[in-house]
Amino acid sequence: MNQPEMHLTTDEIELWAQGLLGAQRAFHLSDCSLCRDIADRERKVILELVQLPRFAPSAGFADRVMAKVKVRAPSGDFQA
Amino acid sequence: MAWARQGHEAAFRELVRRYERPVFSLLYRMVRDRALAEDLAQETFIKVLNGIKSYRPEFKFSSWIFKIANNAAIDHLRKKSLDTLSLDGSPSAETPEQMRATSLQLGGKGETPLDEVESRELGTAIEKAIARLRPEYRSCILLRHVEGYSYEEIAATLELPLGTVKTYIHRARNELRVYLEDRRE
Repeated sequence: MNQPEMHLTTDEIELWAQGLLGAQRAFHLSDCSLCRDIADRERKVILELVQLPRFAPSAGFADRVMAKVKVRAPSGDFQA
Repeated sequence: MAWARQGHEAAFRELVRRYERPVFSLLYRMVRDRALAEDLAQETFIKVLNGIKSYRPEFKFSSWIFKIANNAAIDHLRKKSLDTLSLDGSPSAETPEQMRATSLQLGGKGETPLDEVESRELGTAIEKAIARLRPEYRSCILLRHVEGYSYEEIAATLELPLGTVKTYIHRARNELRVYLEDRRE
């Protein structure tokens, strides 16, 4: 790799890990083992993060919140 | 939102239903205590719903609620500096080695059913790695990769300069990578 200015930036590596980097810049990875190594490691972390589950509070959470909220219109025609 | 701003109960409930999981998840990962996270989530929703008239529609509602939730978590962690010490090591620690040496171990043997739930939910390597991050790194990385916020949205939500958000997220990912690779070796 004789052109260090062509290495992927951190932002580009993040885009690549998400499958959003343009083909022209992504092609750099096939030539540069340094960037490829960094990108592969970065992708592993990002994949672990995006797969994290969302947790639910315990049952009755909404009721406990509503018991302490000032409601001005207890009924109505609201539809979500 | 218009219905909620008029104070309709059903609209309030719908907002709670939509946001209870993301808000609770952020808080739970920030404080790593289910009961406390629920208290903070409840406090967040009460503040949001009772103050719904002050909501400015030009901002995303989710940004507003995450901002209030994050502030609640950060305030709590600041007040309870011992909790922070248990996760991050001594405040005077200057190197990763010192931080590791002065930090307490997470995810010990469950002593109560709730402890066991927490240990199961937050006991994976990635969750433990997130717990070791500084709180401000933690909220940025969670908003970025769990909630899918852009850097700009995180900057607006947390009222941080864009460059700071980028720095926090890049540093956080580096720390997570090092921690996870250390565990695998």
